[in-house]
Amino acid sequence: MEVTDTLALQGENPGLEAFLNKLQPLLDGGRLDNLVDLASLLSDLVDLLDAAMVEKLSVQFEQATALSWNLGNAIRLAKAQTRQETTPPSLYGLLLLLREPQTRRGFALVLRVLNAIGHQD
Amino acid sequence: MANHILIVGGGVGGTMLANQLVGKLYPEILRDQVRITLLSNSPDHYYKPAFMYVAFNQFFKEELKRPERSLLRPEIDFQVQEVTRFDFAGQTLHTRSGKRFGYDFLVIATGCVPAPERIEGLQQGGDHFYQYEPARQLAQRLARIEKGRIFITVSFPQTPNVPHQCGIAPVETTLMLDDYLRRRGVRDKVEIIYTYPTTAQLLRNCLFLQRPTGEILPGIFAQKNIQFQRGFTLGKVDPDQRIAYSEEGDAQPYDILMATPPIRAVDAVRESGASQAANQEGWLPTNHETLQVYGLDGVYVIGDTVDLPVSKAGGACHNQAPVIADNIAGEIRLGTTVAVYDGKVQAAAQMGLNAGMPLTYDYRHDVLPTPPTKLGGLLRNGFNRGLYWAVARGML
Repeated sequence: MEVTDTLALQGENPGLEAFLNKLQPLLDGGRLDNLVDLASLLSDLVDLLDAAMVEKLSVQFEQATALSWNLGNAIRLAKAQTRQETTPPSLYGLLLLLREPQTRRGFALVLRVLNAIGHQD
Repeated sequence: MANHILIVGGGVGGTMLANQLVGKLYPEILRDQVRITLLSNSPDHYYKPAFMYVAFNQFFKEELKRPERSLLRPEIDFQVQEVTRFDFAGQTLHTRSGKRFGYDFLVIATGCVPAPERIEGLQQGGDHFYQYEPARQLAQRLARIEKGRIFITVSFPQTPNVPHQCGIAPVETTLMLDDYLRRRGVRDKVEIIYTYPTTAQLLRNCLFLQRPTGEILPGIFAQKNIQFQRGFTLGKVDPDQRIAYSEEGDAQPYDILMATPPIRAVDAVRESGASQAANQEGWLPTNHETLQVYGLDGVYVIGDTVDLPVSKAGGACHNQAPVIADNIAGEIRLGTTVAVYDGKVQAAAQMGLNAGMPLTYDYRHDVLPTPPTKLGGLLRNGFNRGLYWAVARGML
């Protein structure tokens, strides 16, 4: 594009002129290159995203959020129940908590988690 | 005196609302002043939008369902129960097991049921993608067709200004079908004809229930050599001759009839006496702003069971749930509703097998269509494969 064409374009479009003026310091300091390269990198990342990659990322997201949500819910509810006791349970009181079938189910879960961790070591 | 909030229906509306209510009313729950129960007729939760992908062999059943219990906060009492009768006067629900549930606040989230039997011959002669087994049957037919005509019809409820399930689905599946047949290498020998009925809510003789999108469809269809026809209201099907008859007097042969069927509310809702809808469809009279059911105290409705003009889709539930949660909390804490629904619905439409188009609209604004893109398609794919479950849990 001829310099005269560029100047004519700027004259017609004050928005473009303001934008180019804003970019000038970046050009002068050699910093515009990074931005253009970043745009290029983002474009490459978008190209890398195909259906299979998105599926993997989404499943990871779902697994991570499901786990943290599950744990967070459990801790929140347990905190609420524990806070309500003015004095903590005695040792015998702790054993009595195992009477609840859901507690025993949770205990079995924890033991199996430990087992799986052992497997992966 | 605990306030008992009872939610009927374990679809996306009921599930996300139950979770949001727990968050909102946590102080009362801790003090045993509020308890929340969710009843569903199934222990499993299905991601229903995936059924349309099932029709193209793009989704496994195992991937589109989860146990409902895993999507609910532990504070919610979840029970698998089929509600058989709503006794609004007695504020009690009766279930098939015989167990009864009293309530102080009730949310009806029972969704809708495809009813192809309401058009003569459609059940035997047509296919649809709104449930798993029908979608599997359609998938087998689409995988085998080598030549012929695939005829697409859309049936609206008879109740005025009520949409069919998921407004954009017929367009999505038509474009997906085009891509799918091209991929199979048979597109040049298979005709695709997209039709739309004469009456589509407030519009007449159009190709879509909103004007801006309807206006761009001819261009998109022409590009892909998809034929289209206005003013075809499916009236009758001859399953043996494979002919679709319209109420306008037209008769069209087909090899596969991909028909968005008539829909209705579940039986218990239809028989509840609260509906004013036409044709025994059962939609509940809904206050379009507060989402309360007119004429009943403490009863709300969410999602497909409303009689509102907005889409029967998860993208509507997503914006209705926070309003209902706020209103129930407002009634409990302040004695009044506090929030208003503006009709907003949003989605990422699957415009072909790989392209997507995010869309949004509300009571006052139609969808402004934008060019479908690969990124839009990836967003939809990401939603299908992961983001949806976070939405159901009330996280997003």
